[in-house]
Amino acid sequence: MKRLLVVLFALPLALGALAARAQLTIEITEGVDNPTPIAVVPFAWQGPGVAPEDMAAVIDGDFARSGLFAPVDRADMLGRPSSEQEVFYRDWRAIDTDYLLIGRASVSEGQMRVEYELFNVLRQTRVLRGGHLGPASEARMLAHRVADDVYEHIRGIRGAFATRLLYVSVTRVPGGKDYFRLTLADSDGARPIVLLESREPILSPTWSPDGREIAYVSFESSRPAIYRQELATGRREQLTSFKGLNGSPAWSPDGNTLAMVLSKDGSPDIYLMDLASKRLTRVTTHYAIDTEPTWMPDGRSLLFTSDRGGKPQIYRYDLRSRNVERVTFEGTYNARARIAQDGRNMVVVHQQDDRFHIALHDLKTGRLYVLTSTELDESPSIAPNGSMVLYATKHSGRGILAAVSVEGGFKFRLPAREGDVREPAWSPYMTR
Amino acid sequence: MRLLNKLLVTGGLVVSTGPLCFMAAAQDYVDLEAEAAAREAAGMSAPQDPYGAQPAQAYPVTTYGVDSSAAGPAGSGAYSAAAPVAGAAAGSGGSGLGNLFLQVQQLQQEVMRLNGKVEEQAHELRQLKEQSLQRYMDLDKRLSEGGASTAPGGAATAAPAPAPAVPTADAAGSGGAEQPGEKAAYDAAYALVVGRQFDSAVQAFQQFLEDFPDGRYAPNAYYWLGELYLVVQPPALENARQAFALLVNQYPEHAKTADALYKLGKVQYMKGNREKARSYLDLVIQQYASSNPAVVKLARDFIADNNL
Repeated sequence: MKRLLVVLFALPLALGALAARAQLTIEITEGVDNPTPIAVVPFAWQGPGVAPEDMAAVIDGDFARSGLFAPVDRADMLGRPSSEQEVFYRDWRAIDTDYLLIGRASVSEGQMRVEYELFNVLRQTRVLRGGHLGPASEARMLAHRVADDVYEHIRGIRGAFATRLLYVSVTRVPGGKDYFRLTLADSDGARPIVLLESREPILSPTWSPDGREIAYVSFESSRPAIYRQELATGRREQLTSFKGLNGSPAWSPDGNTLAMVLSKDGSPDIYLMDLASKRLTRVTTHYAIDTEPTWMPDGRSLLFTSDRGGKPQIYRYDLRSRNVERVTFEGTYNARARIAQDGRNMVVVHQQDDRFHIALHDLKTGRLYVLTSTELDESPSIAPNGSMVLYATKHSGRGILAAVSVEGGFKFRLPAREGDVREPAWSPYMTR
Repeated sequence: MRLLNKLLVTGGLVVSTGPLCFMAAAQDYVDLEAEAAAREAAGMSAPQDPYGAQPAQAYPVTTYGVDSSAAGPAGSGAYSAAAPVAGAAAGSGGSGLGNLFLQVQQLQQEVMRLNGKVEEQAHELRQLKEQSLQRYMDLDKRLSEGGASTAPGGAATAAPAPAPAVPTADAAGSGGAEQPGEKAAYDAAYALVVGRQFDSAVQAFQQFLEDFPDGRYAPNAYYWLGELYLVVQPPALENARQAFALLVNQYPEHAKTADALYKLGKVQYMKGNREKARSYLDLVIQQYASSNPAVVKLARDFIADNNL
């Protein structure tokens, strides 16, 4: 067994490098035809000294990562207006932009105020104005909120830029034990914060529905245990440490229950833990492997992976009727389902031609669309607005995060500067 | 039963995890206590281990059906690395309990495999039932309408009556000759459009074009595919573009080509390509000014409405 362990630990890390931290950078790899051009003018700074953050650049980055917008290069701008009086539409028509976003930021007593105005250049009208207030240290988050507002106005669905990511980064220590870091970052990969550092593996990070807490599996006590942790206070609580497997925590939509996989009674099965009383209920009892539970948005059923049909497929367990029905039929391998908030778009790891891709399964039609073209894709996680899927893959021998739009077509990578990154979890909408 | 646990769990590695998460899941599945026990067991004199009789069979990976090549390098690593675990206890004599254990395990595998087959067949049966109900309803609908089928969307299309001997559709132009069975297949696909079964209709037209790529109704099929890709959820703009483009490029003289060009303009607009949209619409206006005023009007209106 020792050899098995060694191989398991070493293989995925073989090409990793020693790293102090794992900041993510963005590389857009595949675009869509003619995204909507939008000019984001650098926001006017109405405070002392220099603006703490280039908010327009943050917004530009958000738009570029959405794949639906093409931010205009600042060098092409013929003016730098910051109020409606200073806007001359011909300047913006001349550079073929459809929309123009201007704004102002100021700070007083540690609070930053951002105001913005959005103009439709073709119709020559202001179409949106608004503002956000928050701690000056959260300047980037305020910028993401402005981007969310603009995205929602133009696309008709809520933006998901003011959200955060959890991921596990692994730094290999040659000849020693590796470093595992549970990291929290903004949706653009900026401002990474290490929540937990361990020389033992950290797995399956997941979010509570209100985005205030997380749960994960840590081997820090030399065996797997499920923990929950409050983000604001760092307070954490060990929920399980049963003999055998303790894995795949998944928070119910009402926040009261945690689904998980335990093998304490034999083969791996799905259990529910009532978080108030810590009482456990066993959900599945099959001798096959039942794992990777995830909740339907209505909280009435669970999706999980099982090989009770000989090959791993997605099944649905109805909590009221206790019926189990098989969901996926296309292909010989569909695992680790995650479901969008619409309750219809499900993403899975799907095997096709001996390769593992992320695929979108439409629960209404039963149709499956393969979204990715890389080979070893895993751990899909859907943005709270259902527009993008974040997943882990390999690039140049390193574990990186990548994203693809649910419609397919638009892709970008978020490689860490150093080390391997895996198991991304996109947060729900953050309570404002 | 620790070893039993261990074996199931090891099998789980390959089965229930992705290629990369493999490592993660592997750790997830590793039971350190059981591992220590396994090491102990391996160190013990072999005959004492009742489960070691047929290690190769006892290892469940082979029967899970996930071949190790498919599981990627990590998977095969697990396979070769894990084998010695079972192998460590090899060489012991068989025992009744060991055989029983093996048989139970084989039965479990067999039941799982059969279970999978039953699930799949039930699924296929359900699909077939739905399809046949659909067909019946379409037929019923058309019969009750006295054989007249109504085409949505205004534009003239093949409007086939049930089973007329002479083709009546507007295939005039450049479609090929009608092939045996073609009309029935086309009608069946078209009925799905009328019945608003858009997803099934897409499949039916795709199948139609596979079966009758040079058929008399192939241009119509391309047109309908294009239209359908715009109404399915989610809309498949690129597929729609390709279908319309195939029609325009392969059958420039066909009666539906003007409509397809107009639709290409629309699709490009929906994709956000305003310039391309405009150039297609201009082309419609240029080419069909005299022959097809209706579509020219549509193109002009579209340009005006959308400020192109």
